[in-house]
Amino acid sequence: MAALSNLKQCPPFFALADPSFGANHIPELDNYPRIHVKGELHNSSAQRFYGGQGFVPVHEGVLKRIIRTFFEGGFWDSLAETRSEKTREQAPWLGKTGDYISQLLGIATTLKLKVLPHTHDLSAERIAQYVETRDWIDSDSTTQTLITCIAWRPLSVTEIVIGCRQGLCFWIVDNTMILGRTNSPSQFFKHPENLPITSMQWNKLGNLLATASIGDRSIIIWQPDSGLMEPLKRLGPPGSLLKWSPGNDWLFAGTVDRVFRVWNCHNHWTTERWTCGNGGHVQTACWSPCGRFLLFVSTTEPILYRLQFVQQTLLKSTKDEKEVLPIADLNACSADENRSLIGGPVQQLAWDPRGNYLVITFKSTNHIAVFRTFITKYDLQISPAYYLSGEIAAEHPSFVCFQPLYKEDERSIVTIAWSSGRIQYYAFD
Amino acid sequence: MSHLSTINACKLLLFRRCLQAVLLTVGIQFLLLTIFLLFVNFQLLRPLHWISVTLSLVCSMYTWFASIPLVGAVVLYGVILCQQHLAERLYCPTRFRWLVHYAPRKLLFLAAHLLVGYLTAWLYTGYMHTDYRHLWYKCYEQDCISAYHVYLLGMGIFAGCYYFVSVHMRQEVEIEFPIVNHLWGEKLREVLYSSLARSLIKSLLPTLAYTLLFWLFGGVVCHKLSHIFAVDLDERLEGFFGVATNGRLLFYGWLLTSQILSNMDLMRCFYSMFLSEEFPLAITKNRAAFVQEKEVTVVAALGLSNVYVVQCLAAKYLYNLVTAGDSEKRSELFQLTEPGNRPANWRSLCDQCLSLFGNFTDELIDSMQKISVLKGSPSSPPLTPISESASASLMAERVLTRQYNQMHGIRSMVSPRSNAVIDRPVDRIHRVPDWCERTSMQLEQSLQLLINRIPGIVYMFTEPEGAKTTFLLTHSLPLVFVIQALSQICVFSLTEDRYGVVQTDLPDIIRSMSRLKGELDKLSSVASNLRGPGSSFSVLRGAVRRSLFHICVAFGEYLSELIPSGEELHQLQTVINQE
Repeated sequence: MAALSNLKQCPPFFALADPSFGANHIPELDNYPRIHVKGELHNSSAQRFYGGQGFVPVHEGVLKRIIRTFFEGGFWDSLAETRSEKTREQAPWLGKTGDYISQLLGIATTLKLKVLPHTHDLSAERIAQYVETRDWIDSDSTTQTLITCIAWRPLSVTEIVIGCRQGLCFWIVDNTMILGRTNSPSQFFKHPENLPITSMQWNKLGNLLATASIGDRSIIIWQPDSGLMEPLKRLGPPGSLLKWSPGNDWLFAGTVDRVFRVWNCHNHWTTERWTCGNGGHVQTACWSPCGRFLLFVSTTEPILYRLQFVQQTLLKSTKDEKEVLPIADLNACSADENRSLIGGPVQQLAWDPRGNYLVITFKSTNHIAVFRTFITKYDLQISPAYYLSGEIAAEHPSFVCFQPLYKEDERSIVTIAWSSGRIQYYAFD
Repeated sequence: MSHLSTINACKLLLFRRCLQAVLLTVGIQFLLLTIFLLFVNFQLLRPLHWISVTLSLVCSMYTWFASIPLVGAVVLYGVILCQQHLAERLYCPTRFRWLVHYAPRKLLFLAAHLLVGYLTAWLYTGYMHTDYRHLWYKCYEQDCISAYHVYLLGMGIFAGCYYFVSVHMRQEVEIEFPIVNHLWGEKLREVLYSSLARSLIKSLLPTLAYTLLFWLFGGVVCHKLSHIFAVDLDERLEGFFGVATNGRLLFYGWLLTSQILSNMDLMRCFYSMFLSEEFPLAITKNRAAFVQEKEVTVVAALGLSNVYVVQCLAAKYLYNLVTAGDSEKRSELFQLTEPGNRPANWRSLCDQCLSLFGNFTDELIDSMQKISVLKGSPSSPPLTPISESASASLMAERVLTRQYNQMHGIRSMVSPRSNAVIDRPVDRIHRVPDWCERTSMQLEQSLQLLINRIPGIVYMFTEPEGAKTTFLLTHSLPLVFVIQALSQICVFSLTEDRYGVVQTDLPDIIRSMSRLKGELDKLSSVASNLRGPGSSFSVLRGAVRRSLFHICVAFGEYLSELIPSGEELHQLQTVINQE
């Protein structure tokens, strides 16, 4: 079993006098945008003028405003509007009525929670337990609250989808249009039970989108172009994490409990049920590029597990047993002479599209571990390679992901979003 | 295999599936009856007695005999539904043509709905409380017509009519491919649960509407019936409170409506479910003498433009075959076949697909010419020359405004100045029409104006704007699957096509996709104004864009060799960079 103790330090990118001498440097990286998220947020050019800002607000009566809010945002938004300061100033009796309704609903919710304890409110703290982004709760947004996941649509360079409290927001990011860049999404889908989206994944062809919510016991498969959706039921506990295998053959669904399921998409969506260690849930998972191996880590122990989806024998046995094997020990250990630690509870896994490197980030330590992987038809070998560090010791990776590859000769490039807001690109061999 | 025999083989297979659906719907009648009886005979304190009474009622001889008319009506309903699925989809440009072509069929279908509704009500009332069971009852030692029974029979007819109007009157029956293709048993369970639960809610509105109608006109109907049958009138449901306060009657009415709605919904779902099952098709045309003649190839099935369902199934089969990740099955497409070691499979498939693309695009272009916003607009709108006197800021503003208008489909209030007018020589000789020709033209125009002023003429005999485009887009499902499948085949050919059979056709495939994409982009500004095909348009456009992008990215390095023309190449490179 591989371990973190054999990792070597990779020369930090910033430490080199000329970055082009770095082992990871490729000329294409020079064309990549240099982004510093925190700097971008304060950039004046980011605060663009939108068409909607040109309109002058009109005076609206209290009742009219509440009714409009009801039709635009639904019952809860209109109740919030009824209880707002503005309404209280204009019509105090409406504000009091709103308070009474709210109290009544509060009592009803308390009773409901006593009868159905699993339906408790999905607060930001609860969502933070299941997302793959480290320190997710510190991130904020105004129009789309509690953003948990963002994904570019495959085979499209202009469409991006955001999973948030409100549901799924589809945006068209078209740089060719100077005018017409809107401040509202091109499409918007709400969860059927009005729950926040906590995980989502596109399939390879970009025509199906799977979403999970930690309040819902089914996975929803959306067909965004036609606006249709269909739930995958019998998940067990509510879903928290989704990973579609690269070839669209399997769909992994982690839940908030120890149960996780793998659906066979080409065989009538039959499902296999698995469980991980007691008291935990699958924190993160990733598929090998060939789609034959699934790696995952649970919250209970820092052990990397492997699940194999390939028939090893020529004659198919009557009981097609699959086995979960531990392949790497990720317990924290000293990384360098400064005794800085690497390892511990895992935050995220990312496997490069060539299948040669596995990148692991941790919840409590700041380095990124890189393992070499070697995939054969029936086996997977893993060995420690090196680790990556931030510019300063306190900088830790918030999120990592690999760029999809479309050409044979392209090199795998990982994008690292550091806690400081810095975005770094790192090219592998 | 000839075209006719292919049609016959496909129709035979689909007929078998329809027969299975009919058998299932007949079986479901007894399940629905059981559910109804469980509701009607509910006894909280004697659960075993409740269940045993219900089951004995379902299994009784009376039920078997009494349900024969309903079963007959269900079979008739199924036959009409089956015929509608397999019928050719014809485009009717005017409402009059639509009426001529579809009205008899729709009327027959409406009759089937009314029959199923009436017979369901008639059968179910036989199990209700004695007051509701018969058309006559003894009141004051005389025969009276039972208003309760009339209400429930009318409820059945109204529910059938309501379902027809809300689901089948305007729309054609469509085959629905599920997003998630579950096992048959799971599908059945899902359909049953969702249909039964949904109908409980959906039946509220028709029940209330019918109750209101019965309050208004029920008295007249009962009076007429009592006159016809020479019996006394029932006064129990007279007045608003007589109807509104009868809880049991309303409950029966609601339950009956929900049963009828779920019954019809289930029949529709079963047909769709059975017909959308994977079609057994072959890639290679087997030439051996002993092979059954009934084996249908994908290419032959794709060519059946007059049986829309078969075309959809063939396209879906091809899509599943290509995307399933099984390279062995895909390899059949790239094989060289005997005699002659020619890529016959690929050749026939490619030709068929390109012909589908070409025909669709040509028809779409023709139909778009009739949309006033797009009339005569070229693929990419040329930039009008800007006068030298205009300042740079003014030019920029004009360009931006034009870009914005094009994106949102905003037309200019002033008709654009034609360049031809400017270029026309001043001293051109015009032919002046003689007085006879002028008079006849004026007469014709005034006659046309006069006819158009007659109410209903334009409505009935004029083609609505964009109707053909809407028709084409709503029937573009086979094209959606074929485009995605073909792009996948092209991409897989990079690694799996050992003989290079695909590469010779790549330029044609890319060009045809690019052409279709261009037309759909043009249509995007007005798609939201067209009636109906909103989702069909987005599905088709998304499929074309992604497919073209996939091919262009996969063959990015070789694009300049595949497409030598400068303009086309530039457009494709734009697809890669900005889509």
